[in-house]
Amino acid sequence: MRNYRVITVFLVFLISVSLAFSVGCAKKGTVAVDEKPAVAEQKPVAPPPPKAEVKEKQQLAQADRAAIKEAAEGVSPIAGFDYIYYDYDKYTVKPEYRDTLNKLADWLKAKPEYSLRIEGNCDERGTAEYNLALGEKRANSAKDYLVKLGLSADKINTISYGKEKPVDPGHNEQAWAKNRNAHFVVYK
Amino acid sequence: MKRFLRIFQVPFIFIIFLSFPGGADAQKVYLDIDSPTMYKFPIAIADFQDLGGGSRELSTFFSSELARVLKITGYFNILDKKAFLEDPAKVGITADKIKFADWTTIGAESLIKGGYTSTATDLKCQFRLFDCIGAKLLVGKEYTGKPQDRRDMVYKFAGEVVLAMTGEKGLFDTKIAFSGRRGKVSEIYTINFDGTGFERITRGNSLTIRPQWGKNGSEICYTSYKDQNPDLYGTNMTTRKERRISRYVGLNVAGPWSPDYRYMLLTLSKDGNPEIYKLDTKTSTLKRLTFESAADVSPCWSPDGSRIAFVSDRAGTPQIYVMDADGGGAKRISYAGNYNTSPAWSPKGNKIAFESRKGGSFHICTMNESGGNVKQVTTNGWNESPSWSPDGRYLVFSGKSGGRARLYVMNANGSNLRVLHEGLDGYNYTSWSPSLNLY
Repeated sequence: MRNYRVITVFLVFLISVSLAFSVGCAKKGTVAVDEKPAVAEQKPVAPPPPKAEVKEKQQLAQADRAAIKEAAEGVSPIAGFDYIYYDYDKYTVKPEYRDTLNKLADWLKAKPEYSLRIEGNCDERGTAEYNLALGEKRANSAKDYLVKLGLSADKINTISYGKEKPVDPGHNEQAWAKNRNAHFVVYK
Repeated sequence: MKRFLRIFQVPFIFIIFLSFPGGADAQKVYLDIDSPTMYKFPIAIADFQDLGGGSRELSTFFSSELARVLKITGYFNILDKKAFLEDPAKVGITADKIKFADWTTIGAESLIKGGYTSTATDLKCQFRLFDCIGAKLLVGKEYTGKPQDRRDMVYKFAGEVVLAMTGEKGLFDTKIAFSGRRGKVSEIYTINFDGTGFERITRGNSLTIRPQWGKNGSEICYTSYKDQNPDLYGTNMTTRKERRISRYVGLNVAGPWSPDYRYMLLTLSKDGNPEIYKLDTKTSTLKRLTFESAADVSPCWSPDGSRIAFVSDRAGTPQIYVMDADGGGAKRISYAGNYNTSPAWSPKGNKIAFESRKGGSFHICTMNESGGNVKQVTTNGWNESPSWSPDGRYLVFSGKSGGRARLYVMNANGSNLRVLHEGLDGYNYTSWSPSLNLY
């Protein structure tokens, strides 16, 4: 019985190796006995390009992206009225910050060559992915207020960082309060 | 750089001897994974025998690595070598040469033995799993390769052991992707199920979040802020080249791929507020699934691809809903508390893991797919972002306690908790890969 098994085993070995050489692909001199089925490479598929008029509103132009980056890294000409703050889990503009927004609106009206980016931020006490939505609501509510003051919506774009970009890395009420904000960056 | 996905460069040849003497009629023991006092199989792992080549340190390498890796599964009670009665150097490694009474006496129900021959360039190793009570072989394998393949051989046989003993193949060829933060920068990282192989995937030097594994793990997609907007990118895991997938203004955040990998779920805010869309990669069409003025985020699929669970605050606060895969019939399923998010649908069905805010903290909970049978499975700290293993037995999640952030793995009922990684400033957005056929 034993010898029979050894021969069977040897034959299985021979057959599998010869199959491999005839079927498998050998690269760079290694002998590949392909036990696994060949895996089809996943072809990248891009979403359909948006229609022309939709494209204007739904894409952030490369020029804007570059200008925002530069402005964010430089000294802000609106320091002093570039942050407003929100209550926990809330996104409505608080009355005490209307003055800040009025100043911002006046500044932008006087300098029509500038555009505005509004960043919405959250404190760490919430789900990361849901906070992306909350940050967006904060940025959008500030935008809505500014639009009501007469600014053109086309010159304002919003972004949410959720809780990914806290101003204060602390883990206390003080830090959290500073992190629940909308931040304004002007650029041209 | 060692590439973990080696479709075209098989690192070692392995030849399976299906007719190992003794047969392979494995008795499949199915675990009750939900049992709070899950029975652990008492298993002895003997030092391997040097069958030629004289590489003595491999003797304890194979036994200790198998022990390490099997212990991590939480299914085994690895017996202490000091209790062994036989001297492995004197006894054989085949069923006919083993005195099984020596093993059952010390409480071993299973036994692993092996032997290897090694040279400077080649390594061949036999692994055998025995049922001590039945006094027979359950699984026998022989692997041939190079000395540096020795750990891969251990992983491969450990997978066979888990399959024979529990009815599911092991998870040693899966990885967990997540967003890890150092200071002000977050990148996508991957790590193996056993905590080895920690690797950074992205180099955006910005904020990089929400990774999702593609088909067979060939690509990971993620959202990066590096170009001043949360755009969706993908990195090909073989070439490591990055492509941009979606860059609408506002959020471009990926949900998981459908079980057949035809559809990708997306959260986009291009139409005014965060809504859920389905990208059909077969027809290249984008279909919008939610239309509320509320925020609709965090979608995930049922294992049969017929339904989608997601988070919506249409009722005032974030709660979990289930809708059909075409967007119809949305129904709320979470009712405990006022903040329930991050749904993850078990690949085995009928269980959804999620995050729930309780008091001042967050905990991982599970419920069935109609929202009943809610169980809290973490008890300490602040816990987020649960993801299921492909076999539906484990959850990975991020946790913060005592000021430290960590990545954890546990059984789905909360037992067998272990730290998968620590040392970064933050962990979030976990995603468990499918089987990657790493070896």
